[in-house]
Amino acid sequence: HIAEDTSDLLQHVKFQSSNFENILTWDSGPDSASDVVYSVEYKRYGEREWLAKEGCQRITWKSCNLTTETGNLTELYYARVTALSAGGQSATKMTDRFSSLQHTTIKPPDVTCIPKVRSIQMIVHPTSTPVRAGDGHRLTLEDVFPDLFYRLELQVNHTYQMHLGGKQRDYEFIGLTPDTEFLGTIMIFVPTWSKESAPYVCRVKTLPDRTWT
Amino acid sequence: GQEFQFGPCRVEGVALQELWEAFRAMKDIVQAKDNITSVRLLRKEVLQNVSDTESCYLLRALLKFYLNTVFKNYLDKAADSRIRKSFSTLANNFFVIASKLQPSQEKEMFSISESARRRFLLFQRAFKQLDIQAAQTKAFGEVDILLTWMERFYQ
Repeated sequence: HIAEDTSDLLQHVKFQSSNFENILTWDSGPDSASDVVYSVEYKRYGEREWLAKEGCQRITWKSCNLTTETGNLTELYYARVTALSAGGQSATKMTDRFSSLQHTTIKPPDVTCIPKVRSIQMIVHPTSTPVRAGDGHRLTLEDVFPDLFYRLELQVNHTYQMHLGGKQRDYEFIGLTPDTEFLGTIMIFVPTWSKESAPYVCRVKTLPDRTWT
Repeated sequence: GQEFQFGPCRVEGVALQELWEAFRAMKDIVQAKDNITSVRLLRKEVLQNVSDTESCYLLRALLKFYLNTVFKNYLDKAADSRIRKSFSTLANNFFVIASKLQPSQEKEMFSISESARRRFLLFQRAFKQLDIQAAQTKAFGEVDILLTWMERFYQ
């Protein structure tokens, strides 16, 4: 019996994780028929039994949210997808070993940029994650990563930038020219895990100085 | 480097990020070779709820095992140059850390060292239940679990 090559049914089975939202994604092959259905299973590394993911059985779309099922930060996980074509062909593929701590990427922070006459205040809002503590409350990125810090930059002109940074959430760039536009960028850094977010960017104009008018 | 406090044992100059970078460089290669997904050597019973005082004994036993049993024979098989470079970074750093871990041998610490030994034996027994090459590959692929646990003792 010659094993049938069904690799074109299913490819690139992997986790995509961002701020601990863990999504399993996959692709069908280049000339795969459109009548294929997919079923997802997952398990913890070290356990024997695969568990079927409810809501992702015999689906036609190519992603499945496994955030809740893979939410324990001290655990490592595997997931696998089985593709089944109407013609009876099937293929099963597994992910690499997945650890959300190691693999998750960090989204840009949520920031409020407040222009004043000679300064710009920047307030970084905590980023909630789907990860829950023992008592059930949701952890923020700062809870999960104790060494997390923010780096802020204000582009004053083509050659001059101002920099601030630290673990606190409230920053203010001072000594600015009134009624002038500035570009602010704010990023999150997690040194221990070598993680760095894309920048949050805000373009703000300082207020006109009306003291002598 | 960073400073770690494993209970009474203080270890300075640990370049943890370097260890992580070394591991990440070969993680996918090594973990892909481990197809026994139903066995985890460094499982919860080995590493969870380890007291600070116990941690020095346990880490020293684990690092010595990695040096003497996992790394020692793995190098000849690690033909892939990416693995060899990572390998020596990890091995050298494990050697330095292990040599700085000098837990007390006094009588009153016996129960703590015994508890650490029982945890280590859980790991060693699971290792011995596998074919030696599969076990070495699995242990090598679980260095991230060990590094994640070590971070807890980062000062």
